[in-house]
Amino acid sequence: MDKVADKSEVQSSHPDPAFELLGLGIGLRNCHFDHILAEWPEVDWFEAISENFMDSGGRPRWVLDQIAERYPVVLHGVSMSIGSTDPLDMAYLAKLKKLADDVSARWVSDHLCWTGILGLNSHDLLPMMLTEEALDHVVERVRQAQDVLERPLVLENPSSYVQFQKSTISEPDFLRALCDATGCRLLLDVNNVYVTCFNAGTSTSDYMKAFPFDRVVQMHLAGHQHCGTHIVDTHDSPVCDDVWQLFRTAWQKTGGAAVLLEWDGDVPEFERVHAEVLRAQAYIDDIAPLPEQMVPQRRKTTTSTPVDFLVPNVMNDSRIQIP
Amino acid sequence: MTADGGSLSKVQRWMMSALIAPGRVDGESVTETFLPGAQLDAASCLGIYQRSYIIRLRICLMGQFPATLHALGEDLFCDFADEYLRTCPSDSYTLYELGRRFAAWMEENRPDRDLHPEEREPWVDFMIDLATYERMLFHLFDAPGHEGKPWPSIQTPDNELILLPGLVLAQFRFPVAWYYHEVRAGKSPLYPAPVQQLVAIVRKDFQTTTFPLSPFHFRFLTSIQRLGSIDAALEEMALWCGRSLADVQSSWIADVRQGWITAGFFIRRNDQD
Ligand SMILES: [Fe+2]
Repeated sequence: MDKVADKSEVQSSHPDPAFELLGLGIGLRNCHFDHILAEWPEVDWFEAISENFMDSGGRPRWVLDQIAERYPVVLHGVSMSIGSTDPLDMAYLAKLKKLADDVSARWVSDHLCWTGILGLNSHDLLPMMLTEEALDHVVERVRQAQDVLERPLVLENPSSYVQFQKSTISEPDFLRALCDATGCRLLLDVNNVYVTCFNAGTSTSDYMKAFPFDRVVQMHLAGHQHCGTHIVDTHDSPVCDDVWQLFRTAWQKTGGAAVLLEWDGDVPEFERVHAEVLRAQAYIDDIAPLPEQMVPQRRKTTTSTPVDFLVPNVMNDSRIQIP
Repeated sequence: MTADGGSLSKVQRWMMSALIAPGRVDGESVTETFLPGAQLDAASCLGIYQRSYIIRLRICLMGQFPATLHALGEDLFCDFADEYLRTCPSDSYTLYELGRRFAAWMEENRPDRDLHPEEREPWVDFMIDLATYERMLFHLFDAPGHEGKPWPSIQTPDNELILLPGLVLAQFRFPVAWYYHEVRAGKSPLYPAPVQQLVAIVRKDFQTTTFPLSPFHFRFLTSIQRLGSIDAALEEMALWCGRSLADVQSSWIADVRQGWITAGFFIRRNDQD
């Protein structure tokens, strides 16, 4: 079959008309603000980190408002802590809802994880013990969050470095049951699948076979660091070949999910990041991909969930007036 | 503490404390909680989270306190940061709040806190003031501001002017604003001698500017802030310095009024939210 016809057929069969086919997007990072405002580059859409903007009364929020006037924006959060046994933070959810309305967010996503307990925040995407108890708990909280947000929540599979002895449900089955019970949708991060499966010594193809692709509205691509004995999800490099292959298979099964590249550590210039996500088109069209461009130097420390995008450098514009 | 029982809340409390205080976790509870990874034992798998936790938050504090980092040096800063994060773990959904208690924590935990104030080390005072200033700046960068709304002109009468709501007035025992901007300019300033520094910090057009002030001007701005009126503050200043109101008014008009309006110290009363 003709590839182009094949693609349009796949796209038109996207099962979820409430979610737009956004195309190939980029994670919005502060270091690219000036470039975007000056060039208005041809990018399909942007994903903004919710927490960087929901309290912002400074330039970051002003920039996001400009961008939201010209591009579709999706909000991606890291602190909803949907899996925590602390009460849901209703003030946080109310601010998130306001931001989502203000920027006409196409959808709002976060992770299947917990970030803290007892009022404390680790600022990490901590792994869930996947049990019936946890499923009931998360189902209830997703319903609460969706009631406040007045839109379906989109949840992402996180990268994991541990597996719980007492987990009784696989991550794909857990996510499927969660979607069935709440109507939430999924953000499938194929790099996270790769990282989690490598670290656990499990099979990515088993994971993919079990995954509820019909619920996926968005995918993430990212680079990682291979440390020999384990892989850390660092978002500081190009996407590796194995992850591209996972992407190729997965994207077809989603029937046209929006695609987003995350690049958070050692972020190169905008055009380099954009070029990396555009490589996805070749895998979508199933033609030979472009060769990988020059790979930048890697950062010294191997930290999961890099902080650069959590606390962008907002401190550039300061001066002292000499009397 | 162990993770036995398997309930979600128990295991989360156990894991959170394993991140904040890695030394207090016993090996048995780790192997009871986690399976070994493909090539790492359970403790090493947990270790990835433990290492990332402290490194991530340390990097975040370094970003929020670049001049304090420069002044202390990386090793000492990291010692301080680690201890601060152990005693004051993040309690907010946003990392912007991570440094909120840092200066106060330094004050409470200063190594010479048991000595008489006059016997204490001045360098500790400097670090505390520097961290306080950096926090003020960091907060002001992203705080609600007046951008996008009209600014007054020098023709705007005094009774229509109020101080910019986000304007910060602060006093320090060291020239911390100078030190901070030297560091940000890539220089290596020496540890400064103590000298009182009075400042106003203002954000206009997303540019944050620190204005060193004379004691008289600092007092005047403090009065405007407290009284909500330039006229009332001028009267108070005249009384305080024992000069005529006309003298103080003409000094206000001749010396600072235009400069302060242009710099964004004031907005029109009717333009506030
Ligand atoms: Fe992701």
